[in-house]
Amino acid sequence: MNEAVYTASHWQSWKYCPGLMSFQVLRSSRIAVMVLKVFFPSCCATAESGLLIGRWIPEQNSAVVLAVVHFPFIPGQVKQYLSEVQRVTQVNMCVLGSWSNSKQEKEEVLVKFLEDLSTIFSHEPWIQLNKERDSRVWSCCIFQKYPSSPKEDEFILVYYDQRKVMLSQLHPTDNLTTSADHKGNDASKLGAVFDTVAKSKVLFMTDRYDDGPIKLTHWQSEGVEASIIMELMKQASVPVCMLLTFLLSLVSSVYKSRVLKLWPLSFIWSKLSTCEQLGHRLEHLQIISSNRKAQNQTQLMRKANIFVSLLIDMALGILLMSWLYRENRIGQLADTLIPVADHIAKELQDLLQWLMGVPAGLKMNRALDQVLGRFFLYHIHLWISYIHLMSPFIEMILWYVGLSACLGLTVALSILSDIIALLTFHIYCFYVYGARLYCLKIYGLSSLWRLFRGKKWNVLRQRVDSCSYDLDQLFIGTLLFTILLFLLPTTALYYLVFTLLRLLVVVVQGLIHLLVDLIDSLPLYSVILRLCRSYRLAAGVKFRVLEQKAGKPLRLLMQINPLSYGSVVQTYRLPTYACYPKDSWSSLCKKLFVGELIYPWKHKGEKQD
Amino acid sequence: MEEGVYRAVSGGRIALQRRQYSASCREFSVRCPRLQLRSLSAATCSVWLAAYGLFVLSQNSMVLSAAIFITLIGLIVYLHFVKIDHESLLVIGSLGIQMTSSYASGKENTTFIEMSQVKDVVINEAIYMQKVIYYLCILLQDPGEPHGVSEVVPLFQSSKPRLDCLVEVYRSCQEILEQRKT
Amino acid sequence: MACRRIGCHGHTLSPASSINCVKALATGIRTHSICMVSDFFYPNMGGVESHIYQLSHCLIERGHKVIIVTHAYGNRKGIRYLANGLKVYYLPLKVMYNQSTATTLFHSLPLLRYIFVRERVTIVHSHSSFSSMAHDALFHAKTMGLQTVFTDHSLFGFADVSSVLTNKLLTVSLCDTNHIICVSYTSKENTVLRAALNPEIVSVIPNAVDPTDFTPDPSRRDDSTITVVVVSRLVYRKGIDLLSGIIPELCQKYPDLHFLVGGEGPKRIVLEEVRERYQLHDRVRLLGALEHQDVRNVLVQGHIFLNTSLTEAFCMAIVEAASCGLQVVSTRVGGIPEVLPENLIVLCEPSVKSLCDGLEKAVAQIRSGTLPTPETIHNKVKTFYTWRNVAERTAKVYDRVADEVVLPMDKRLDRLISHCGSVTGCIFALFAVLSFLFLVFLRWMTPDSIIDVAVDATGPSGAWTQQYFPSKKGSEKEEIPDC
Repeated sequence: MNEAVYTASHWQSWKYCPGLMSFQVLRSSRIAVMVLKVFFPSCCATAESGLLIGRWIPEQNSAVVLAVVHFPFIPGQVKQYLSEVQRVTQVNMCVLGSWSNSKQEKEEVLVKFLEDLSTIFSHEPWIQLNKERDSRVWSCCIFQKYPSSPKEDEFILVYYDQRKVMLSQLHPTDNLTTSADHKGNDASKLGAVFDTVAKSKVLFMTDRYDDGPIKLTHWQSEGVEASIIMELMKQASVPVCMLLTFLLSLVSSVYKSRVLKLWPLSFIWSKLSTCEQLGHRLEHLQIISSNRKAQNQTQLMRKANIFVSLLIDMALGILLMSWLYRENRIGQLADTLIPVADHIAKELQDLLQWLMGVPAGLKMNRALDQVLGRFFLYHIHLWISYIHLMSPFIEMILWYVGLSACLGLTVALSILSDIIALLTFHIYCFYVYGARLYCLKIYGLSSLWRLFRGKKWNVLRQRVDSCSYDLDQLFIGTLLFTILLFLLPTTALYYLVFTLLRLLVVVVQGLIHLLVDLIDSLPLYSVILRLCRSYRLAAGVKFRVLEQKAGKPLRLLMQINPLSYGSVVQTYRLPTYACYPKDSWSSLCKKLFVGELIYPWKHKGEKQD
Repeated sequence: MEEGVYRAVSGGRIALQRRQYSASCREFSVRCPRLQLRSLSAATCSVWLAAYGLFVLSQNSMVLSAAIFITLIGLIVYLHFVKIDHESLLVIGSLGIQMTSSYASGKENTTFIEMSQVKDVVINEAIYMQKVIYYLCILLQDPGEPHGVSEVVPLFQSSKPRLDCLVEVYRSCQEILEQRKT
Repeated sequence: MACRRIGCHGHTLSPASSINCVKALATGIRTHSICMVSDFFYPNMGGVESHIYQLSHCLIERGHKVIIVTHAYGNRKGIRYLANGLKVYYLPLKVMYNQSTATTLFHSLPLLRYIFVRERVTIVHSHSSFSSMAHDALFHAKTMGLQTVFTDHSLFGFADVSSVLTNKLLTVSLCDTNHIICVSYTSKENTVLRAALNPEIVSVIPNAVDPTDFTPDPSRRDDSTITVVVVSRLVYRKGIDLLSGIIPELCQKYPDLHFLVGGEGPKRIVLEEVRERYQLHDRVRLLGALEHQDVRNVLVQGHIFLNTSLTEAFCMAIVEAASCGLQVVSTRVGGIPEVLPENLIVLCEPSVKSLCDGLEKAVAQIRSGTLPTPETIHNKVKTFYTWRNVAERTAKVYDRVADEVVLPMDKRLDRLISHCGSVTGCIFALFAVLSFLFLVFLRWMTPDSIIDVAVDATGPSGAWTQQYFPSKKGSEKEEIPDC
């Protein structure tokens, strides 16, 4: 069945219908209502009477008031000022209407005057806002010079906190985002409002320092001193960054030099998590210290996040170091390390002895069992002698390695992971031998099973074909099959035991990597910002209906709806190098069953796809 | 303001409050079934009994203090993250639709959908747990194609009113939505 | 496919028939609220699926209320509406094997009970003995005291272990079902024997095809060669191994013989090997899985339709082929001999040799030109099987069933124990008691009174009529919040 055709042919969602007819009647009798929305900054509520300036968004039929111009003013100057602002901010600013804040009753004249103003500043819907004394409810009316249609107008007054809206950054929710090509015509309404307010920031910045001929009421930022300090710090950071960049370029040139690209070295680098982590951190430093200005908010946040995460990382690392180098803890650590390694080797020897006997009451193929057991025992013997050879130097090595903790906790953790990998090298070896043997047997068995059923694998067509075999082919095949089948349990047992050991090591390493990744990727700056200045990261807005009075316009309070913590982390998560393979559980189990090798790092082959 | 008592799908009592602010602005608020003292005390008792049993077995008084701690933490988490006290739907004709769910602790979760994204508000059927229920949902306009629906946003998810209550809300919503279209 | 069906449906809804319908309503025929239950429904394809779909539509046309319950297919879960307000519940139950759900006899009870109550179902009609959901629904419906009807679409053997087990289960499931419908007399005989039924309560209502979908088009065939068409799932039951024996033999004998095979399945590899071994790539075309609307386009390209099924209750494929004007060659198994008259079909034994002989006979007929033209065959077949007829006969069964009493619990237990053997009977009697207790518990948890009655989209008092919905809305995705 054609899915598309099928879905088109039925309705999956339907309106509830009884009673729908009555609405139809109701609707037809209704006159078209034009709703006019006025966004009004709540800080201007106490302003003196004057003119409302802001932007008119005709397609949404809404006016965004940005400031109030007080009396007295000269209309020419206001116009000039507006055109200047328009040039700077690229926002289409105009006089939207008049504002009267009547403290006394005497202002009859003023009202008349305000009405007259509409002839000077021509604006199509001329908005008049009146605030009566001690009254929270304002009256609002509108003048249209050319009353084109007999429309019954309705007002909605939306208050907003200018400062918060200006500083906040709107994050469109993922599921609501439109694709890029639709953005032009379909940008959200509130987005336009936010945009307008944010762009007008420049207007107030200039206004703060010089007293122009026009007095405005709008959001005033406090703490000029703090901003001066910030300015100075910005200036100072430039040479610091230059210096850092220079040093980094030196380091990275060493890092990228030819010598390290040679085969054995590059192979080792790619397998050691410390090197990966160092490279990752180097990249971060380069991003921070680059002189280029962050182009947009996301990049700025990214820089800040990297900076904070670096700082925290360093602080934790230095804390760790101060703990390590006190009271000869390094020496103690080295003294315990050797016995632990010895102990592990001893346990392994016991395990092998157990396997060479009758493990868990299983009867194994004696000859194969002995061969395998001896082989592994010899390996352990080699390993123990190697450890003992190393033992005098261990403390020194640890001492120097411990110094690297000043580069950050993540580096120290990566080194720990590498040390674990080195100390359990024998387990890895056993695992590889076991897995290879097992893998070989499984492959042999599966192809001989096919021979058994008169089938064969067709390599060219990638499928199983039927095939007629000769008698002796069948005979040999069956013989081999039997031998392999009877030897399988012995190999499988060795494989199982060593795989379990290997998995244990991989899990420990995986946990360390997870911790490193967590420190690397957590966007701490954004989280702190969300905690302290929740309006800076806006997911949207929410409205609250303020108290109503009959006959007066609907009043709403627009508040910023902060982004949830989950989405903050999701949006600003820093990318990690993620060296561990992203296997699903089922594919991991399948790999284990077939006897393929598993690694805590990515294969070369996997990287390509 | 009108208030009506309805039943939830689970049988509990819910109250629907309807406030009309203006011709194009209405708010519907559904108060969820209250937290039953019975179930609360049953949960607490069972945790404490289990703890007491453990205490008798292990003779470790840590178990008892841990049980008290777990109960308290559990209650706080339940009130703050799970138990929804009331859900409201604010429809403003020219601006959009706002959904708020208030938790028992006072925490509020708000989502606002602009009118340009709203395609329609409909009643739909769904299989929920072992029930087949009606629910009210907002259909969001797919920006790609004019007749498409990009997403379905279910309303009153935790109170789950029955059909008669949904029809009330649906009719009121449609009245406002119809104004938008003309 | 549905679209096309709907199209033709609207087309066939001629004034005369709607007048009939109205008259029937006016004279007060009884209407029922029917719930069709089966694991097999669209988007799965097959005979059972289209049977349920077509039958439901014709019943709706007759004024009954019909809903369909099936399990979720991938992303298609929840509640969907098909044309004419036919409501389909895709229940989120785990699929175990071959699109059949796992059965525990209990886990589906809460949902099915909820649906039966909210839709005010009076008759539960289950389809296909392969569907465990259908058996579950029968069991629950009997516990709830609803009338039950079962349609069997397939034949079984008696010999091997699996069929012995299935037959036992069928006996249990059908022993207190009110009425059973089979698609052919062979099928009836088979079912009566398997389930140890009283033949009185078994009716035969054959399947039907939509003749307007399968019209001949001789211009599409290539008359310089002879094309044999095979359209079936490529599985053992359909005798694909026989086909792989026939193809090389006939291709050697007739150099102008071509094969066109539509369908997909595990046995496809057998055909591919045959094709490669005998170098028949230009003469044997494997089309792979076919959409239902493409079947006719494939059929009209051929002269002969070959059916090699090893077991078949009622072969719809041969009716479709005959309706397209093809000469049909088929095995003489199951209900196939009843389906078409002698002059339209060549029947053979299910062996390579016999089938080859049959095909040679058909080829000879085509060569000699003694066959009737496709149009005459089509016109003849057109009159045999129609869905309207099927619906009418099914409605009669419903009328009869509605007057019967559903066995009360004690009688039901008696019957189970006396009818199904002592051991099985006792076990299932115990199950029946448990299921009844579970139902009592569910009724206590959510009483019937707090279950909303579903808004009826179909039927005489259906809300979904044209006057409320002047224009079709775009289809929308259904979603299940938590399931």
